[in-house]
Amino acid sequence: GDAVLCQVVDHYENPRNVGSLDRNAKNVGTGLVGAPACGDVMKLQVEVDENGKIVDARFKTFGCGSAIASSSLATEWVKGKTVDEALKIKNTDIAKELCLPPVKLHCSMLAEDAIKAALADYKLKQDPKKEEPEKKA
Amino acid sequence: RALQPPGPRPDLFRLMDCDRSFRLDAQQLQRRFRSLQRAVHPDRFGQRPPKEQYYSEQHSSLINKAYRTLLNPLSRGLYLLELNGVEPAQETDCDADSAFLTEIMEINEKLAEPKNQDSLEEIETLIKVKQEELTKEVTAAFERDDLQEAKKLLAKMKYFANLEDKLKNKKIPS
Repeated sequence: GDAVLCQVVDHYENPRNVGSLDRNAKNVGTGLVGAPACGDVMKLQVEVDENGKIVDARFKTFGCGSAIASSSLATEWVKGKTVDEALKIKNTDIAKELCLPPVKLHCSMLAEDAIKAALADYKLKQDPKKEEPEKKA
Repeated sequence: RALQPPGPRPDLFRLMDCDRSFRLDAQQLQRRFRSLQRAVHPDRFGQRPPKEQYYSEQHSSLINKAYRTLLNPLSRGLYLLELNGVEPAQETDCDADSAFLTEIMEINEKLAEPKNQDSLEEIETLIKVKQEELTKEVTAAFERDDLQEAKKLLAKMKYFANLEDKLKNKKIPS
């Protein structure tokens, strides 16, 4: 069978997509999560186009290298996906891609939670305003 | 009369002759630490058989660990939770804690900017004040036996402990 290559991506050394998007923009979802056991904080933002596709993503993470790498990878992975596709990203995939050791698995979980929080925020912002129910004739 | 090894799973509070409580007399702890180290320090066992020398190292290590754990409010609180069978917080903090996490994020961002000594001192003061507030709240929570509240507050303290470490690293001249 095929050898499983562990891609030691340099998300640790050269994280991608560090920064911020305009949290007040209607098509931007912001997720802010924390890991109480280690005190890491992670902010992940997505910009979604009118077709429901994620066109941009940024993150800011204060924590260990594995947390930074996990969120960097997460922003790479959500780009180009629809909101529903991005919701399917699992922490186990992130951990596998980064070859995270067992003690750092919670970092990938944090990244998964950050993605979900950002997408939930985006969806909330898209909720149409409640209108008066139309009276039936 | 030969030195014996430390017992299994020692109670660090008992070892340091302190009540099993979040309230702690730091001076009493320090006195106890010094007197225990005087008794078991490996330097005093230099002429003893190797086994006893080894045991004295174990005792000395254990006393160091107990002292460090009990002296620091965060580690003391977490240890107390452990003794009471309460796991420290593991679940990701999100929506409910949004205001708190935003604050932590902002302080982290301020720390990350290259700054002058004055603004570093401002941040240091802010962190200290927050830690003192939280320590008071944790004390109150333990006093009324509200372990779940103590657990939540100790989780917040962890974020500030990290900030404190980062700030210390910033202050070390490169």
